[in-house]
Amino acid sequence: GDGRGHMKASWELTAYKNVNDIPQAKELVIQVDQKHEAILLPIYGSMVPFHISTVKSVNSNQDNRTCTIRIIFNVPGAPFAPAPDPNSLRNQTAIHLKEITFRSKDPRHSSEVVQLIKTLRRQVASRESEKAERAT
Amino acid sequence: MSDGHLFNNILLGGRGGTNPGQLRVHSGGIAWKKQGGGKVVDLGKGDIAGVTWMKVSRGYQLGVRIKDGLSYKFTGFREQDVGNLTSFIQKTIGITLEEKQLSVSGHNWGEVDINGNMLTFMVGSKQAFEVSLADVAQTQLQGKTDVYLEFHVDDTTGGNEKDSLMDLSFYIPNSNTQFVGDETRP
Repeated sequence: GDGRGHMKASWELTAYKNVNDIPQAKELVIQVDQKHEAILLPIYGSMVPFHISTVKSVNSNQDNRTCTIRIIFNVPGAPFAPAPDPNSLRNQTAIHLKEITFRSKDPRHSSEVVQLIKTLRRQVASRESEKAERAT
Repeated sequence: MSDGHLFNNILLGGRGGTNPGQLRVHSGGIAWKKQGGGKVVDLGKGDIAGVTWMKVSRGYQLGVRIKDGLSYKFTGFREQDVGNLTSFIQKTIGITLEEKQLSVSGHNWGEVDINGNMLTFMVGSKQAFEVSLADVAQTQLQGKTDVYLEFHVDDTTGGNEKDSLMDLSFYIPNSNTQFVGDETRP
């Protein structure tokens, strides 16, 4: 991506206030929560939330009947990283989850979830960049 | 033995997902067996190093760490089970349960804690996720800042879930001093 697409974390970057706000999942699969602008990843039997603005890119790969879903997160110091904002400055010494890959048995679910993540990411990015433009 | 507490439909979590089964907490320890037979986890009271509670999106999760460093996650308890089990485990096994909190902020930055075989990613003082280093097939240092962990792909022990974890990587900035001088592990 180009720098413009990156979301400035100027608003409070919080997916959920409380664990009870996380949608109850019938199945332990990757999910997109539009309302809270978050994705939920099944890691060791738990659903782990990530705010959509931490996501840099997502893609899927299909090989015979197995699909892989790869999610890459924003980290400081990456090429095309935006100018440091107060939020990222604070986190510059922190360890970041940079990338995570899942294997999926369901090609339809896999392409659907990748599409949903991309769409949500784009929506939130364009809303935030509009907000930033209006502010200047 | 008839003492203790029995819970049906308790999920044992692992790399490949979860398996439902029956969990029994008794005066001699904690035992879980997979629904329909197969996998059994039998933890004697003398092997248990620590027990934790965590509220998750699907009820409450009991975490049991054993002395050889492995850790087990059992999910599917109700709120009222927490109090009962806490006092039972304290009385019969002699371990005080600690409460852990799940990070729900959705941040991808924090700290990595390694305790026995478990690697925990903490956001603030809360746990985002925990993985078992016993399931790691290989680790790699990529460049100067990235640590890559690849998990075993094993269909026999994996759960029945559609999506299973294959690999992940952490970005560790040079300015982070937590793991200075040890480049073979995150």
